[in-house]
Amino acid sequence: MSATATPSRPASAHPSAPVTTTPTAVLLATAPAEEGGPAALLPWEGGTVLGRLLDQLASLGVRTAHVVTRPAWAAAVREAGADAEVAVAEDLAADLRLVAALAADAPPGGIVLLAADVVTHREALAGLLADPRVATGVLAGGRRHGYPYAAPTRSLRGRILSAGSPFHSVRRPTGRFLSVLKVTATDRPRLTEAAERVATLTAAGLPEGWDDELGRKEAGWRGRLARAAARQEDLEASEAAGDDEPNEFAELTELDTDDDGEPEADPTAALGPEDEARLSARVAGARADALSLVVVALVRSGAHVGNSHLRRLFWARPASHAEIARASEQILDYDEDRVLLDSAVKATDGFFTTFFVSPYSKHIARWTARRGFTPNQVTIVSMALAVLAAAAFATGERWGLVAGAILLQVAFTTDCVDGQLARYTRTFTKLGGWLDATFDRSKEFIVMGGLAIGSQEDVWVLACAALTLQVVRHMADFSFAESRIETIGSTRHPPLEQPWDTATRAAASAAATPAPVPSVAPSQRVLQFWRRLDRMPAATWLKRIVAFPIGERFFVVSLTAALWDAEVTFVALLACGTFAALYQLAGRLLRSVSR
Amino acid sequence: VSAIALSPEAVARPATHGVFRDDGPFARLVGRALGRRLPVPPFALAAAGAIPLFVAIAATGDGASNALAGIVVAWFVALAGCSTGRLDHTRLRWMGTPFVRAGEYAGLIWIGSLAGASSVPAVFALLTVVAYRHYDLVYRLRIRREVPPAWVGVVAGGWDGRLVLAYLLLVVDALPAGLYVAAGLLAVVLIGETVAGWRAFLGRQGSGDVISYEDEEDEGQ
Repeated sequence: MSATATPSRPASAHPSAPVTTTPTAVLLATAPAEEGGPAALLPWEGGTVLGRLLDQLASLGVRTAHVVTRPAWAAAVREAGADAEVAVAEDLAADLRLVAALAADAPPGGIVLLAADVVTHREALAGLLADPRVATGVLAGGRRHGYPYAAPTRSLRGRILSAGSPFHSVRRPTGRFLSVLKVTATDRPRLTEAAERVATLTAAGLPEGWDDELGRKEAGWRGRLARAAARQEDLEASEAAGDDEPNEFAELTELDTDDDGEPEADPTAALGPEDEARLSARVAGARADALSLVVVALVRSGAHVGNSHLRRLFWARPASHAEIARASEQILDYDEDRVLLDSAVKATDGFFTTFFVSPYSKHIARWTARRGFTPNQVTIVSMALAVLAAAAFATGERWGLVAGAILLQVAFTTDCVDGQLARYTRTFTKLGGWLDATFDRSKEFIVMGGLAIGSQEDVWVLACAALTLQVVRHMADFSFAESRIETIGSTRHPPLEQPWDTATRAAASAAATPAPVPSVAPSQRVLQFWRRLDRMPAATWLKRIVAFPIGERFFVVSLTAALWDAEVTFVALLACGTFAALYQLAGRLLRSVSR
Repeated sequence: VSAIALSPEAVARPATHGVFRDDGPFARLVGRALGRRLPVPPFALAAAGAIPLFVAIAATGDGASNALAGIVVAWFVALAGCSTGRLDHTRLRWMGTPFVRAGEYAGLIWIGSLAGASSVPAVFALLTVVAYRHYDLVYRLRIRREVPPAWVGVVAGGWDGRLVLAYLLLVVDALPAGLYVAAGLLAVVLIGETVAGWRAFLGRQGSGDVISYEDEEDEGQ
């Protein structure tokens, strides 16, 4: 049987056990294709987009799939979605009532809600459904993914602070909602409540201002199509692939122009018949977009909605035969395993780790995955290597210092492997997270002890000072992060009826104009400049080096110990660490006072 | 208090900064007696307590008299102690814990070096064990949503308790042996409790569970 045969696909290093935590899927086949009919029934490799998606979900442990569609499309959908239950709804409010009912009545477990016309890699869905770190959350792309039709979101620390929909704008978006939402079993009552809430709001016509908001977006989309036509440019070619990297790093390079990320509006631009058809299909799809309204309602009710990043996988919502043809061509260019391996590398790692360790450590991670090692085993090996390094340093001999330096670098590489292995195989455990973090600290301090023991001079005061500096820096990191989380948690969300996400409409419209707001506090201005620097990769890396993260620290230890002695090592650690501490203190003071 | 609408997160993390601080009996006592009467935000009290200590260390190094060290350390315990047990609502509340940590560790190093160079390795040993406790407080809360049992806090003594103990050991001339013994005992207790705690937790939860987020370091943010 093929299930027991030696796996031949590269991605088979992943545990293939189906996910059982999300047994129910609700697919919304309500967006129309340009040529008529639902976009979900556009052809894909002999079947349909919907059929492909249902197969992917089934392989991820989804047992029951409900497809919501319009009465006129029901027969065709039934034919395409063999085992799925098909439910018929007349309009947006009816869709939402169906979602609410399914959320209340489905068998125990989580629910995944998604647009039935999504074309993406199975691994993108697996990242959301099978990653135990994401509770209720969405599949998230970078700011330019699905641009401009996918709903924008603004996130901080992996949590959505503000979500958009066709009828809701987002100031300073950091990413986009890629039409897949997972809701855990415990959050299902909230989902029911959110869907009912939107259903009630939209039952007798849309609330005030919602049509204006969609009109504003439509004007932007129109302007974009018109400008592209004038330049004879092929929009979808760049649109589907997404030209920036969608990951957690996007949060750091948050747009800081107070822009809402929409293309420049041109409400009166004339379009050719093809573009006019394209636009009206997209607007009709937007009017039927129950999914992003549910996300807005969840976020604005205070629910914790997380992000699972698309990484560099493929994603599109084709709405015409031409776009299908393009998507099926583009998806072939992706090496799924390569993408997974690349995205096993943490996007927020330091410079040294990113450029000198991860390029080869990820291959070690893949090797360990294939040999069946667990991340915790790798973590323990790394700790053992660091103990050996400390013992070598403790000899105080030149050979010992050199051997210790090399062993420490090997230990650090191994340390990067465990995290990459965990991300690559999605084996995240609480014990693993704790061991990794605790052993990282232990390695650092045990190496300091080894160096001090082996030193010819008495460097114990320096060793104590270096340890203290590192602990205090970390405690500042933890406390600052904690106060940011408290701030996020106590944020008051605007009411669902309100199309904008700022306190007042004036703030929203001021934000939409590109002219700078005159009354900006000086600290704000410094911060804005500082964040703008992040758009230059060199500046971003420089800022990360200056923060003196673990890779840089271990590199400094190895280099100074191998070439000179322990005294030089401690002085270097203290000098770089003090500089980093002052730099971070300044940045945090600025951010604390200018909110 | 219940009139203030707190989000679920805020309720779930009642006083995270208080957990991170690792306060002991003396600080709690001072905090309860005087803290609420002082109209100064907790982080500023911690800073006002620690800064004279830093100045004294910088000015005298290992040449200070025991009396001076006693006064400066007592000032730190008293002032930073006043910030104990209160919720800090200021925007700079995140500075409280780092000041307490810096004051504690610097004070221990100073006391050790006043006893002579041979005591400083003992301080290093104690600091690694104490640092283990401080990281464990953070990681345990982040990963297991738990606080160590109260008796562990009593045994560990808190930052103030450890400073007072180290100073008493200095005065009775029991350094470095006293510090080595303290570090050894504390290490056995902390590691033993960690192992027992994880066993109990995994027994309850099973190993394949959710971790909230994995950023061990928030550098460059």
